[in-house]
Amino acid sequence: MPSRVWNYFRHHGRPFLGLALVFALGVVFSPRDYAGNLIFLSVGNLTDVLLQQSEIGIIALAMTLVIIGAGIDLSVGSVLACSASMAALLLVRWTPGLAVGPQMAVAAGAALLTGATIGAVNGLVITRLGLQAFVMTLATMIGVRGLTRWLTGNTNIDFGFGEMASARFSALFSHKPSVIIVWVLLAIVAHLVLTRTIFGRYLRAIGENEQAAIYTGLPVRTIRFVAYTACGGLAALAGLIHAARSHQGNPNDGVAYELDAIAAVVIGGTALAGGQGTIVGTVTGTLILGLLTNMLRLRMIDSNLELMIKAVIIIVAVWLQRRDRASNSSL
Amino acid sequence: MNPRTLVLLLSAVLAGALSTACSRKSPAGAEAGPGTRYTVVFSQCNNAEPYRAAQNAQMERLWGAQKDVHLVIMDAQQDSAKQIGQIETAIRMRPNLLIVAPNERAPLTEVMGRAMRAGIPVICLERDIVQPNYTTWIRSDNRAIGRLAGEFILEYLKKKHGAPRGRIVEISGLKGVEGEISRYGGAHDVWDKYPDIKIVANPVANWLQSLAKDRMSEVLSAVPEIDVVYGHNDPMAMGAYLAAREKGREKEMIFVGVDGLSGDAGGIKKVKEGLLAATFVYPLCVDKAVEIGTRILRQPDFKPEPVYMMESRLVTAENAAKIDGQ
Repeated sequence: MPSRVWNYFRHHGRPFLGLALVFALGVVFSPRDYAGNLIFLSVGNLTDVLLQQSEIGIIALAMTLVIIGAGIDLSVGSVLACSASMAALLLVRWTPGLAVGPQMAVAAGAALLTGATIGAVNGLVITRLGLQAFVMTLATMIGVRGLTRWLTGNTNIDFGFGEMASARFSALFSHKPSVIIVWVLLAIVAHLVLTRTIFGRYLRAIGENEQAAIYTGLPVRTIRFVAYTACGGLAALAGLIHAARSHQGNPNDGVAYELDAIAAVVIGGTALAGGQGTIVGTVTGTLILGLLTNMLRLRMIDSNLELMIKAVIIIVAVWLQRRDRASNSSL
Repeated sequence: MNPRTLVLLLSAVLAGALSTACSRKSPAGAEAGPGTRYTVVFSQCNNAEPYRAAQNAQMERLWGAQKDVHLVIMDAQQDSAKQIGQIETAIRMRPNLLIVAPNERAPLTEVMGRAMRAGIPVICLERDIVQPNYTTWIRSDNRAIGRLAGEFILEYLKKKHGAPRGRIVEISGLKGVEGEISRYGGAHDVWDKYPDIKIVANPVANWLQSLAKDRMSEVLSAVPEIDVVYGHNDPMAMGAYLAAREKGREKEMIFVGVDGLSGDAGGIKKVKEGLLAATFVYPLCVDKAVEIGTRILRQPDFKPEPVYMMESRLVTAENAAKIDGQ
């Protein structure tokens, strides 16, 4: 058992090293509160980071699956906004006379279904019509953004406060422990799916060499279709959390979230070319980005510097991957 | 590249960045430099607008005069989720005062409540939020400004056509925020009584000059005759002006904005240059915020009013130089 853990770290350890590094720097540079404790290490602060990263973190889980299958999904930011707006429409504008609970369930269910459907359409067109994933999901990114703005009349739908369905929804879906637990559970499920199921094995095989997978008779289309559908569904779930946290459905939110999610996946060691990658790495990548942001904010550093540092980290991470692959192939 | 090199490289980058940033400004919170007794965090919704830049500059000048106060400005870059995150982090820092210029009403309400519950006095600057989760609200009356603009435009149309009729392009700011709702509503309080005053287009340009220019270009292609462009802020009115000028139609209509900032990029200068026909001073609210904030910091018994209202005024070519001088 210890040797298995050691092996895992030897092969996938780099993101952890990065996380440890960022964490250590966070501790070193953390300001202290009036009692002399490090603010960075306080439970409240660290769970703030988890909550703030949960949306990107959940999207990145599904993005990992898609990317391991040698695909990409650029539509997740638009799906997030669509899901948030859909939920808001059904919670605020729709007055069916339902009790609060059922209305919340309908709103959340409809939003998730919409997201999964968009993901399924991505999957269908990519696998059946043979469009490149980049092109197809770029098209849905644009189209879904338009659909969302059209549905809402390009206005934000505010949730309000009190006992109505929207306010209760907001409290429930932004409840810190619940959101964090949902993220952790989803990460465990995604990890098991990738490492312990036939689906995971096939997905990696497809990403590694699609032609070989087709000749071997693997259900390439089905596997890819499932990955894109999951990606749409999880982006919609992130949308529900986003709506709850920002107390509104905003058709213009979620811009560039796909890039943040892809960054987390890439920093976590997943190869954009497909075939290789881990969920543990992706979660680590998400945490690296979150802790970095938090560390800089605690120091009250200009948020533009944050972007520049992120850029450097992404470049270094991908450069390392490239070197690794180059040295592997020369062996 | 071995892991050790990676560690060195990343540490160097991060440590370099952190120390540069720290050396430039003294750190915040309890660790703030010697002589600092108070930390004030100003959560600004978007540094990129000139009105906001003017607020920041005045904040820095007025708080800077108090040597034992350390001011930190956080820029949310017009992203409510980012502003929530920044305020959450600020709460952990326990500043002595939190001033928030909310990006949007609903998203910021809850987190400002959390700051209050953490015992941090909160000044809500200019825009309101859904619940009064603040110690005090320093506001301007956008509805009154909207009415002033509406009346100015009504008088212009009466003079031009001899009757209350005309064709107006209204360029809206970010939908859903109080400023947009009230600057729209105030003007319509005046116009809606006159059926011959027509809004021929109402594009949304999110307060930004570049967007307004694009939207106005489209409007100019679609609408043959325009009397007045009413921009909910000066940059949008200027964006519309630039679009009209590109098509050689800037003389056909007048441009009216709101904000009336001084300085090179400000609306008052544009009025002086004759590009805008009028603008309405939207008070920065900063001088009042610093005055009240200072009393909150230094006078433990001080109880601020729940709301302080700041006044507006009309700026035209006649009085622009005088107002700019103040």
